[in-house]
Formats: sequence, C-alpha cells, structure tokens
Amino acid sequence: MIELKNVTKYFHTHEGRKYILKEVSLTLPDLNIGIMGRNGSGKSTLMRMLGKIEFPNRGKIISPNSFSWPLALSGGFVGTMTGKANIKFVCRLYGKSKTETKEILAFVEDFTELNEYFYMPIKTYSAGMKARLGFGLSLAFDFDYLLIDETLSVGDVNFRNKAYNALKKKIENCHVLLVSHHMKMLREICQAGILVNEGELYYYEKIDDAIAHYQSVNKEWGRR
Amino acid sequence: MRISVGKLGLFWTFFEPFFQAFIFVSVHSFVLKASSYNYPLFMASGIIAFFMFRNILYGAKGAFLANRGLFSYRQVKPIDTIIARVLLESFLTGIVILTFLLYGYYFYYEVEAKNLLMVSLGYLWLILFASGFGLLVAVGNTFFASIGKFVTLLSFGLLVFSAVFYPVASLTPEIQKIILYNPLTHFMEMIHGYYVEGLDDRYVDYGYMAIWTLSLWFAGLWLYLRLEKRIISQ
Repeated sequence: MIELKNVTKYFHTHEGRKYILKEVSLTLPDLNIGIMGRNGSGKSTLMRMLGKIEFPNRGKIISPNSFSWPLALSGGFVGTMTGKANIKFVCRLYGKSKTETKEILAFVEDFTELNEYFYMPIKTYSAGMKARLGFGLSLAFDFDYLLIDETLSVGDVNFRNKAYNALKKKIENCHVLLVSHHMKMLREICQAGILVNEGELYYYEKIDDAIAHYQSVNKEWGRR
Repeated sequence: MRISVGKLGLFWTFFEPFFQAFIFVSVHSFVLKASSYNYPLFMASGIIAFFMFRNILYGAKGAFLANRGLFSYRQVKPIDTIIARVLLESFLTGIVILTFLLYGYYFYYEVEAKNLLMVSLGYLWLILFASGFGLLVAVGNTFFASIGKFVTLLSFGLLVFSAVFYPVASLTPEIQKIILYNPLTHFMEMIHGYYVEGLDDRYVDYGYMAIWTLSLWFAGLWLYLRLEKRIISQ
C-alpha cells in the first residue's frame, strides 16, 4: 500500500513553477500498476519520489513496503568501475554475504549476456547494455515493489523477451510499478493504471480505463 | 577512482610528489647557498602534506558529480562519497610517506622526525581541515560550477603562498604578517617545525588553525544539511 498525503511537487523553470503534482492525496492498493503520461509529465519524478531519491516540496508519501531503487535509463552505476564491481557494490549496499554476492554475480553475468563487457567499465556500455545490467541486478533482490522506468523498452528483441518473461515470473512474489509507453506490455503486466497529467494524478483500478484516458489526452494534445 | 585512471595512475601517485620535491631541492641547491637545516627533508615533508591537502580538496570537489549514479540507491548519501574520497587520499598519502621513508633508510639518509607525534598530529589535523574545506567546495560546486574552477586556481596560488618550500622565518616581517593570514601556512610551519631539526613552531597559531577548521566544517555541514536533498535529486 502506498499513501500519498497532500503531495505537491514542482520544478523551477524559466516560466515559473512547473507542477508535477498539485496537492495529490491518494491511496494505492498492492497491485501491479502501470504509469502513463506524456514526456515530461512527471512519471520519472514520481518513480524517484517513491524510491526516496527525490522529495516532494510539500506533503508525504507513506508506505510500509520496501521499494527497489528506480530502474531508469540513467544512473545507478559508476562509469569508471566495471559492471562486476558495480554489482558487488550494490550487494554490499544491501548487506549481502560473500556467498550470496557470488551467487548474484554469477546470476547477473549469466542473465545479462554481456560477456566480456561484464568486466569492462560502465562508460563503455551502450544504453541497452546498461539497462540489461540494471534489470538483471534488480531481479536478484527481493523487494515488495519493483520500480521500473522504461528500461525494458531499450534492449534488443531477444533480451526484451527474456526480460519480459523474467519479470512475469518475478511479479508472482512482488509488485511492480511500471513506466512504459508500450500499451501491450502494460496491459499484460499491470492490473491498475495511473495517468500523470498536468499536475494531476488519475488512478484507475482497471488498466484499460487508464490507457483509454491516456489516449484521449494524447489526441487532445495532437489537436492543439 | 584516481588510481584506476589509466595504467600509470598508481605510478603518478608516487612519482608526482617525488618529482616536485626533486625539482625544488635542485633549484634550491643551485640558486641558494646551503641552509642550516636538512632541506630535502623539509621539502619532502611539505610537498607531501600540500599534495595531500590538494588531492583531498580536488577529490571532494568532484565527489558529488562523479558519483551521481550511486544516488539512485537511497542508502547512499552524498557525504558518503566525500568520506570515501578523503579516506582514499589519506591512505594513499600514508603509502607515499612510507615509500619516502623506506627510500631514505635504504640510502642511509637521515629521515627521522624530530617529534613524530606532533608531525602525525599535523597531518591528521590537515586532513580534517582539508575535508571540511572540501565539503564546503563540493556543495558549492554542485550549484555553481565556477566555484570548482576558482578552487583550482586557488590551490595553485596556495602552493606558492603557504610556506611549502620555504620557512616563514626566511621572510621579511611584513611578508610574514601577510602570509600568516593564510591558515595553510600554519599547518606547513607546524609540520616543518616538528619534523626538521633546527626549525620550530614559533609562528604557528594553533587557535587560528582551530577556528578555521571549525568554521569550514560548520559552514560546510550547515550548507550540506540544507541542500542534501537537492544534491541527491540533481
């Protein structure tokens, strides 16, 4: 369960404050929730706030559950360290023992199929490779909620299918908050949906309703 | 990390202070007459201390930006990256000092300190001073990139105006007065004075050093606590 209490979040821009959320109070049940919105509407900011690495200007987000770090296209790794060293670092961060760390390293190396790149600095990675590493790593940990911010849409077809199947298996034991522009994937993974639009948060118990709203918003923007 | 930058990173860690000390010592022996104290030792203890100060400052300066990727994990606070870098630089300095000492012993050179305890205290205090300064600069550098540029220039000037390769006693009283406003001068005088036979700490104002250290830490921590959330989500 995630409770948002009077959450306000804005950024300062040249034209004054740009609101992402304006006095939003909402309780989200324990479901797999798809998050939609136009680019720049604040989906990623919402994910980062849930992951406690971004903070609301006013209000509170309360939850008894554990959240993964937000799996986004940027961040999560130190560029000068190798993929392996980064994984080791995260294992230590989450207090894994030596044997557990070894298992996780073996799992991630096998799952991501990065081969020799696994032993090379992250700065030599492509965006897809970074996403592979991040996603593979997150599978090795247990959270109540997995926060996935579009990372599943960048890999090649082979990996996308593999990741998709792995995610389906993973959500048998945990929930996922998924930011995506792939309606098909959202429909298959998520039960409920959220639309972030112009400072408002719309929650729908059925993902199809959220998608319908999102598409009508898109059409409206297309007409402008 | 500094060491992992290129294959020669480790080599430069040792060679840079060695090379600098060598240049100053040779210039000194060519230009000036023999001094009453052990000049190579004076140079080495000063240069190593100054390089440690500079490296801690530079390390801290870029710590937030370089490790931004790690702020994705909520367990990692920005200040952790500064602590890590200060520890790393201090540890490297320790190894450099050991190398110098072993080198000196190997060639039967007189490398013993007059008062090892006070020299160690000087180094530790310098670490504390540098990390407080570094924290302040790191927070400032996150929001104004020109602060970082200014610090690079500043450290260049500090090398010349901090009594690193000359003792304060060798200066005229007017210049002494000016140069003693620089807190780093006091640290250098303290380390030199307790290391090298024939020198003392008569120009060192320990209260002045303490005020600078405390003020830097106070300002750094205050700004950091106010801006921590903004640094994380930058």
